[in-house]
Amino acid sequence: MKLSDRIENGIVIMEPKGKIMGGPDATLLHDKLHEYLENEHRQIVIDLSKVEWMNSTGLGILISGYTSLKNHNGALKLANVTDKIQSLLTITKLITVFDTYDSVEDAIASFSN
Amino acid sequence: MSFNLFNTILLFVSSGFLIFLSLTVIRDNLRSRLNQVTGAMLFFAGLGPLFLALGQVINLSTPVYLNFEDIPVYNLNRIWEVFFPLLLLFAWTYPEDKLRYFRYRWIKYAIFIPPFIHILVLIYYDSIVLFLKFFEAAGTSEGLSSLILKPLATIFSWLLILFSIVRTYHAEIFYFAYIFYVGLAVYNLKTSLEHLTSASLRTQASVVLRGLMLSLSILALTLIGFEFLTADYADSLFTVGIILSTLVGSVTVAYTIIRYQFLNVRLVLRQSFVYTISYSILVGTFVVLIIKSREIVEPLFGQQTEIFGYIFIVVLLLLFLPLGNWIDNLIQSIFIRNRTDYRNVLERFSRQIISVLDPKQLREIIRETMQTALLVDTVYFVMFDDSVEEYVLLPNERFSKKVILARDDHMLSAVNTLTGPEYLHTLGNYGYDVQLSRELDERNVRLILPMKEGEHLLGFLGLTDKAAGYRYTSEDFNLLRVLSNQMVTALINARLYVESIERLKLQEEVSMARQIQLELLPSAPPIFDNFKISVHSEPSRTIGGDFYDFIHLKDSRLGIVIADASGKGMPAALMIAQIQAMIRSEVNNNIPIAQMLKNINEQMTASTSPEKFVTLFYGELNPKTGEFIYSNAGHNYPVIVRADKQIEHLKTGGTVIGAIPDLEFQSASVRLGPNDLLFLFTDGLSEAQDENEVEYGEERIKNMLCEQLHHDPENLIGNLIKDVRAFDPTSPPRDDTTIIALKMNHLNR
Repeated sequence: MKLSDRIENGIVIMEPKGKIMGGPDATLLHDKLHEYLENEHRQIVIDLSKVEWMNSTGLGILISGYTSLKNHNGALKLANVTDKIQSLLTITKLITVFDTYDSVEDAIASFSN
Repeated sequence: MSFNLFNTILLFVSSGFLIFLSLTVIRDNLRSRLNQVTGAMLFFAGLGPLFLALGQVINLSTPVYLNFEDIPVYNLNRIWEVFFPLLLLFAWTYPEDKLRYFRYRWIKYAIFIPPFIHILVLIYYDSIVLFLKFFEAAGTSEGLSSLILKPLATIFSWLLILFSIVRTYHAEIFYFAYIFYVGLAVYNLKTSLEHLTSASLRTQASVVLRGLMLSLSILALTLIGFEFLTADYADSLFTVGIILSTLVGSVTVAYTIIRYQFLNVRLVLRQSFVYTISYSILVGTFVVLIIKSREIVEPLFGQQTEIFGYIFIVVLLLLFLPLGNWIDNLIQSIFIRNRTDYRNVLERFSRQIISVLDPKQLREIIRETMQTALLVDTVYFVMFDDSVEEYVLLPNERFSKKVILARDDHMLSAVNTLTGPEYLHTLGNYGYDVQLSRELDERNVRLILPMKEGEHLLGFLGLTDKAAGYRYTSEDFNLLRVLSNQMVTALINARLYVESIERLKLQEEVSMARQIQLELLPSAPPIFDNFKISVHSEPSRTIGGDFYDFIHLKDSRLGIVIADASGKGMPAALMIAQIQAMIRSEVNNNIPIAQMLKNINEQMTASTSPEKFVTLFYGELNPKTGEFIYSNAGHNYPVIVRADKQIEHLKTGGTVIGAIPDLEFQSASVRLGPNDLLFLFTDGLSEAQDENEVEYGEERIKNMLCEQLHHDPENLIGNLIKDVRAFDPTSPPRDDTTIIALKMNHLNR
């Protein structure tokens, strides 16, 4: 997995690429999320368009990011969820937990509402 | 008179000092050639003033004036002239042993010939002259023998003239030869000084050189003065000049030895002092005992037994050497404690380290050995630290700060080239800018002992001076070399041990996790008369968190659990254990399934971190009615394949358990009819992959289920697994794989 991240209008956009399957690079995503959280960034969008697959560890990271931000009155939103990830989120019913958007712009816009 | 007395005492003292020094230098390291040569040189240098002083004492004490030069044996005192060839030998041995490169080894013996000829000429001059004169006389007589003797007589008469010249001008001839010796020694020292790279050795050698040059000029001046002064002054000047020159030369060498490298001056003096006192007492006691032997023996054996007196003396003499040795050892044990038996040190060290596998404890033993066996004052460790991937100067009781060394440290590279113990200064002058040089300098490190595994430097020890200022002997160097090899072996062993422990821990954790998992799982599926259950559960190598359970409930209902914990290994196994305990305690409370999952979620969320969660499916089957009430918390949808091959998914429930608080769950109810199949599985089955990373997938599963529906659950699972293994032969499977198949036969009405 590779990770790029940027901040637009105070909203963090993280773009992981490849497979989120646990191990050191999955930890990177986790650490980065929590780093932003500690630096008072409470609005984070994860762009999943380039994520091929994730396993339970990957899901765990998303969930932990979601709950941590929520506990700090922030929000984690998912954008560009691919069909494969969509089905994973559907089966686990995490789709009912996460806010998902068709594009990063939509996700960013959702914060101002 | 008073001047003479003062002069005599001065000569005695200087000779005594030189002889003591010579003995101590030799004792310091008997096997080193430098010590042997230096010791011998100092000894013969000490003989000169000693003989001169003795002569003066005899002169002072004898009323009749004797010309000692007239007594041939007196000339034996010339033996001190051996000093000069020894000086030359010293220059060939110091500061580097050059004798090894000599093409003609006999030179080192040949240089000793002149002083001996000198002595022989002086002592046996009269006999030789008589002998030669006899043949000269025989050659002049008539007869047969004169035919042979006549030419010989001519040769002998020439020899006679040569000898008388030598006899007359012996002082000039031999002392000029000795000047040549000293000059050659100076020249040799000068050339070797130019090749020296070590700064301290250079200072040391240049002091020796200057001393010898001074000695040379005194000697030259003396000889020149001897030629031009009147006979009255010449003789006394000559003696004083020669002795002065010898003293200057040897005192410089002695000073250098003490001041710069070899020995500790206080130790030398203390030791020499104790040796003198103890040996004087010993010899004195012996002399008294021998003199008084008659008085001691007589009361014991009676007056007639004179023979016992001799036996007593012989016994005393036989005892002298062992007693002397005993005193020797005693003094050494007091002064030079480092002369412990090195074999014992090595044996003890290797016995200690063989069982020690903790690096810290190992360093402690090394430090202790250095301090007790070698009297090293402080030991510093520089080791490669795996966590920072750099060499680190470890803290100790004096310097509490850990110093991380730069990889490109110049001095570190120099240490890397060492193969054995080496004085720090021989590595060259690095100055204050080089970190390692600065740090070692601050710590007064004197000696470096590298620990190398082949070409790889594991680390090194920095040793300060010995506790009482003793220098490191060549025996110490040998010991250090062997110790360093043993340390390397021990360090490697410790490293291998730590690695194997870690591997073992991992294996243990895996097997414990597996054990927990296996113990939690039911040993066999329950048996019912109207439906059949079959289970297949296969753990992966890394142990995931698959779990299933069957719980017998009231009214002969059956609770079925299938779950998959996120993550692997021990944490997953523990989470599963927790879930199982909660389910088993909750089901007996007779609360709705949805509420039960909510309760479990609340408890799990409170006790685990949010990235850990469980997908869980729980259902209760009433075998009488075929009613199946379930709730699916984020698990892969279980499938019902109806007898007519219609497929239904059991989706109702909520999301995963253990990560998000305050969740609501729903439950749903289905009814199973005869020959309907309930099929539950974990993602290990659906995510099996072929070599192109194509997943086996739920479609294939459903197709197989429809195809195999006529089989009983056991065969159905068997055939399905066969098909999956053909698709993905990885064994054990990539992920835990669990399948539960339940097929209704008929309903119990």
